Amino acid sequence: MRRMTADVVVIGGGSTGSGIVRDCAMRGFSAILVERGDLAHGTSARYHGLLHSGGRYVVSDPESAHECAEENDIIQRIHADAVEATGGFFISLQGDDLDYADRWVEGAITAHLPFQEISVAELFRREPRINRRAVRVMEVKDASVDGWQMTWGAVRSAQQYGAQILTYTQVTGFEVDQGQLKAVQCLDRKTGEDLVIDTPFAINASGPWAGQISALAGCQPVEVVPGRGVMVAMAHRLVNSACNRLIKPGDGDLVVPAHTVCIIGTTDVKVDDPDDLAMPRNEVQQMLDAGEVLVPGFRQSRAMRAWAGARPLVKDSRVASSDTRHMSRGMSILDHQSRDGISGVLTISGGKLTTYRLMAKNIVDVMCEQLNDPRPCRTDSEAVPGSESGRTYSVTHRLAEREADRLRDPIICECELMSRQMFIDLLADIAEPSLDDLRRQLRLGMGPCQGGFCSLRAAGLTCQIGHFSPDRATAALRLFLKNRWIGLWPVLYGDQLRQAALDNWIMAGTLNVERLPQSEEEVL
Amino acid sequence: MSRAIVIGAGLGGLASAIRLARQGLDTTLISQGLGGLQLSQGTIDILGYDPEPVTDPLAAAGRLAPPHPYAVIGSAPVAAGVDWLSQLLGPELLVGQTSANTWLPTAVGALRPTALVQPSMVAGAVQAEAAWAIVGLSRLKDFSAALVAGNLNRTELPGGGRLRCRPLVIDLMARAGEADSSGLVFARALDRPEVQDRLIAALGPELAEGESVGLPAVLGLEDLTVYDRLAQALGRPVFEIPLPPPSVPGLRLNQALLALAKAAGVRFVNGAAVVGFEAAADRVTAVMTAAAGHPRSYPGEVFVYAPGGFESGALAMDSYYQVKETVFDLPLHGLDDVEQLITGDYAAPQAIFAVGLGVDAAMRPVDLSGNVVYENLHAVGSILAGAIPWHEKSGEGIALGSAWAATQAIQEELK
Ligand SMILES: Cc1cc2nc3c(=O)[nH]c(=O)nc-3n(C[C@H](O)[C@H](O)[C@H](O)COP(=O)(O)OP(=O)(O)OC[C@H]3O[C@@H](n4cnc5c(N)ncnc54)[C@H](O)[C@@H]3O)c2cc1C
Ligand SMILES: Cc1cc2nc3c(=O)[nH]c(=O)nc-3n(C[C@H](O)[C@H](O)[C@H](O)COP(=O)(O)OP(=O)(O)OC[C@H]3O[C@@H](n4cnc5c(N)ncnc54)[C@H](O)[C@@H]3O)c2cc1C
Repeated sequence: MRRMTADVVVIGGGSTGSGIVRDCAMRGFSAILVERGDLAHGTSARYHGLLHSGGRYVVSDPESAHECAEENDIIQRIHADAVEATGGFFISLQGDDLDYADRWVEGAITAHLPFQEISVAELFRREPRINRRAVRVMEVKDASVDGWQMTWGAVRSAQQYGAQILTYTQVTGFEVDQGQLKAVQCLDRKTGEDLVIDTPFAINASGPWAGQISALAGCQPVEVVPGRGVMVAMAHRLVNSACNRLIKPGDGDLVVPAHTVCIIGTTDVKVDDPDDLAMPRNEVQQMLDAGEVLVPGFRQSRAMRAWAGARPLVKDSRVASSDTRHMSRGMSILDHQSRDGISGVLTISGGKLTTYRLMAKNIVDVMCEQLNDPRPCRTDSEAVPGSESGRTYSVTHRLAEREADRLRDPIICECELMSRQMFIDLLADIAEPSLDDLRRQLRLGMGPCQGGFCSLRAAGLTCQIGHFSPDRATAALRLFLKNRWIGLWPVLYGDQLRQAALDNWIMAGTLNVERLPQSEEEVL
Repeated sequence: MSRAIVIGAGLGGLASAIRLARQGLDTTLISQGLGGLQLSQGTIDILGYDPEPVTDPLAAAGRLAPPHPYAVIGSAPVAAGVDWLSQLLGPELLVGQTSANTWLPTAVGALRPTALVQPSMVAGAVQAEAAWAIVGLSRLKDFSAALVAGNLNRTELPGGGRLRCRPLVIDLMARAGEADSSGLVFARALDRPEVQDRLIAALGPELAEGESVGLPAVLGLEDLTVYDRLAQALGRPVFEIPLPPPSVPGLRLNQALLALAKAAGVRFVNGAAVVGFEAAADRVTAVMTAAAGHPRSYPGEVFVYAPGGFESGALAMDSYYQVKETVFDLPLHGLDDVEQLITGDYAAPQAIFAVGLGVDAAMRPVDLSGNVVYENLHAVGSILAGAIPWHEKSGEGIALGSAWAATQAIQEELK
C-alpha cells in the first residue's frame, strides 16, 4: 500500500475535475486528481463538441445563456489551442414556429448575448449545403471545442502549479472519522496496488458517476439520472460553423464541425447505468433523419463513427423524471456536511463542458469558505500551456506542419497527419498508455479508415523503439481495434462498410492479426 | 462487338478473360479501377481455416457444405483453376501445391496458411528451430522488425516447436532525401543492381552464422530474381514477407496476368464503371458504362461478372441498412437475419460479409428458389455468397474455382 498526502483530492478527470484541480493548484492548495481511466474519457469524450455561445438557452434559461456567453469568451482566450472559432447560426426553416424566433431575439437581448440577424443569402454563401428552406438566421459566437485538448490543457497548467494527476486510479472508499473526512482510498488499476491519500477535503466531480462516489462516502443517495445522447460523426465537414435549428431545443437539432468531421446530435433517453450506453439503431436513424433536415443529402455522405454520452443530471423534482432535457442544466453543488453530516466532502454535477471553469471556481469558492481560507480564483486570467499565443486552432494546421517536416518525419496516420515524432514524444510522456490514450491526444486512427493502416504502424513503432514488448504491442493493437469497432458498427453502411471490408482484407486477410498468439500482458 | 464481356479486373475477372480469349472468343474486359490483386498478399489461398487450421486445403474445401461457394463450385474446378494459374504463371512466380498448405510469416509476425507462394517466399516456410534475422528498413513504416520477430518467437508452430527470430534494422535510402518511402518505391529501387548492392553491403556484416533472412516484400517489382541474388551474395536463404497494400507480390501477379490477357487478345476498357444493362427475356444483351461523360453500351453474348464484394462497391448497404447488388440488382443470398448482419462483437465474423450472389453449377446467379436469373450471366469471385474469405483465407481459390467453372460452362454453351 502506498500513502500520499494532499490538501484536497479531486475525484474524476473529466473537464470538471480537471478544472477544479487547476483552480485548487492555482490558489496554492496541494491537490491530487484521481481518475479511474484516462483523462477525458467519460462524458467529456462523449459530448457534442460545441463551445456554447449561450444561444441554445436564451429562451429556456437566460441565466445559463449569460454564463455560457461569458465563459465562451474566457475559454477562447485561455484554451485557444482547443477552440476553433467557427461561429454558429440559429436557423428557422419554413414551417418552424416563427414565434419562437421572436422570443429567441428577446431572450438574447435580455441575456446580453452577442448576436446579429443575417440574411439567408449570406447564410447560403457561408454554408452552401444548408437547407434552402431557411427563412431567418441569427449569427452567434458558437465554436468547436476539442474536449481532450481542453482537459489536457487544464491539467498541464495544474501540474505547473504542483498538482499531481493520477490516471487509471479508482476511488474505492473514504475514511471518515467522527464526521470528518480523513483519507480517500484508491486502487491503482495498472499495478493493482492500493493507495491511501490522507486529506481533509475531497471534491467529487465524477459526472454521471457522482451518485456512486457519494454512496462510497456513506452519504444519503444522490440521484443522478444519466440522460443518454447518441451522436454521429460524418467524415466530412458538411458545415463549417455550428448550425442550430431555431426551435425549442430538441433531438438532433444541431450539427457541429470538429476538426475534419461534423457531428449531428443528439438524442436524450433516460438510462440506468452510465457504464453501459447502447447506441440503438432507431436513435442512429433518428440522427440521420435530423441531419437530412438541416443538410439535405446528409444520408448520402459518409458516416464515420457514433458514440453516446450520459448527461450527468442531478434529479430535480420540478420536472418529470423521464424528461432529462428539461431538468436544470445548471450545476448542482451538494454540501455533504449540511446534507449528510460528513464534513470535507463536496459533490458537483451537471453543467456543461463550456462552463467547466466556472463550475470549478464555484465549488472551490465553497471549499475556501468551509476552510475559512478565502483565496481568489485566477483561472480566467492565464492561458494554459500551449495556448499562450492566443491563436485559436485552425483545421489546416497539421497540413502546414507536415508540409514542413514531411521529408524528415514519416507520417504514421495519413488521415489525421500524425507524424512519427509526435507519436514517439507522447509515448515517452505517459506511463504504459493504451493506443486509445494516445489517440485522444494525437487523433491517431480518428480519420475515415478508423485505424486500418495506422494502428498497425503505431503498434509496430512502440515495439521498434523498445517501449513495448511484442506481447504488449499486440495486446494494445487488439484492444484498439476492438474499441474502434464500438463506434463503428452502429453506422456501418455506405462507404464506411466498404472501408471496413478493405480493413478486414488487410488485418485478417493479409496480416492474420486475429490468429496472433494471445498476449500475457493486459492493456487497460 | 465482343462475344464475351468480363466485368472486373481482379483475379476472377482476369482469369476468366484469359481463359475465354484462349478459347477463341473475342473478349472485352471492362473495369472501373485496378482489381483487388494488388491489395492482396500475392499468394494463392485455397482454404486456411475451416475454422480450425487446415493442412490439405483442397480436401478441406471439398468438405464444406452449402451455402459455402466451394460446395457449389466443387473441388475439381478449384483444383483445375489453381493448377491452370500455376502453369500459366510458371515457377518464376508461383510454386507449391493444392493439397498442402505452407505456413508463412506475416508483417505482424502471425503465421498464415496458404497454398501457392511466390518463390521469393519459400524460405519463409516455418520450421522448428530455424534461425531468422527479421530485417526492417528504417524508412519503411509498414514493417516493424521488432514486432514481427517478437511475435514469431511467441508462436508455437503448427507442427510443434518454435522459431528463433532476431530483429535487425537497416537504413536503406530508396529515394534521395526521403524518410518515408512506400513499399512500391523500395521495390522499384531494388530492381536496380546498385541498390541491391547497397542492401547486401549493409546487411552482410550484421548477420549471424546459420541465420536465414526475412525482409519485407519489396525485393523488386520487375526483376523476380532479386531475392535469389541476395541469397547468393549473403550465402544464406532470403525470403519476403508480404506487406499491407500496395502489395508488391500482389502487383507482380497483377502485371503478369495483365500481360497474358493482352497477349491473349483481351480488349481492355479501363476506368469505366458498369452502371446498367439491357436484357431481353432471360438474357442480358448489353452492359452500359459511364466513363468520363461518355455513356456506352457493350453488347455481348455471354457476360462474366467479377466485380468484387463490399470492398469494391459492387455490393452496398445504404443508410437504411438495405443491401444491394449495384449493377444488375440481382437477388442476394445470406440476408435472412437482417438484425444480425452486423453486431457489436468485434471478434465474431460479421454475417454481412457473407452476403452475396447464389449461383448454379455454371456460376449463374440464382434467386432464392434456385432459378437462374439470366441464362448468359455468370458471377465469379468475392461477390459470391457464403464465405468470408479474409477469415478463412480462401479468396483466390474461390475466384479461380468460380472462374474455371464459369468459363467451362461458357465453352459448353457456345459450342
Ligand atoms: C450527449 C451530450 C452532449 C453534450 N454536448 C455538449 C456540448 O456540445 N457542449 C458542452 O459544453 N457540453 C456538452 N455536454 C455536457 C458535457 O459533456 C458535460 O457536462 C461534461 O463533459 C461533464 O464533465 P465531467 O467532468 O463533469 O464528467 P465526466 O467527463 O464524465 O468525468 C467524470 C469522470 O469521473 C471518473 N470516475 C468515475 N468513477 C470514478 C472513480 N470511482 N474513481 C475515479 N474516477 C472516477 C470517470 O471515469 C470520468 O472520467 C454534453 C453532454 C452529453 C451527454
Ligand atoms: C467533439 C468530438 C469529436 C470527435 N471526432 C472524432 C473524429 O473525428 N474521428 C473519430 O474517429 N472519432 C471522433 N470522436 C469520437 C471518439 O473517437 C470516441 O469514439 C468518443 O469520443 C468516445 O470516447 P473514447 O475516446 O473514450 O473511446 P471509445 O473507443 O468509445 O472507448 C474506449 C474505452 O471506453 C470504454 N467505454 C465505452 N463506452 C463507454 C462509456 N459509455 N462509458 C465509459 N466507458 C466506456 C470502452 O470499453 C473502452 O475501454 C469525436 C468525439 C467528440 C466528442
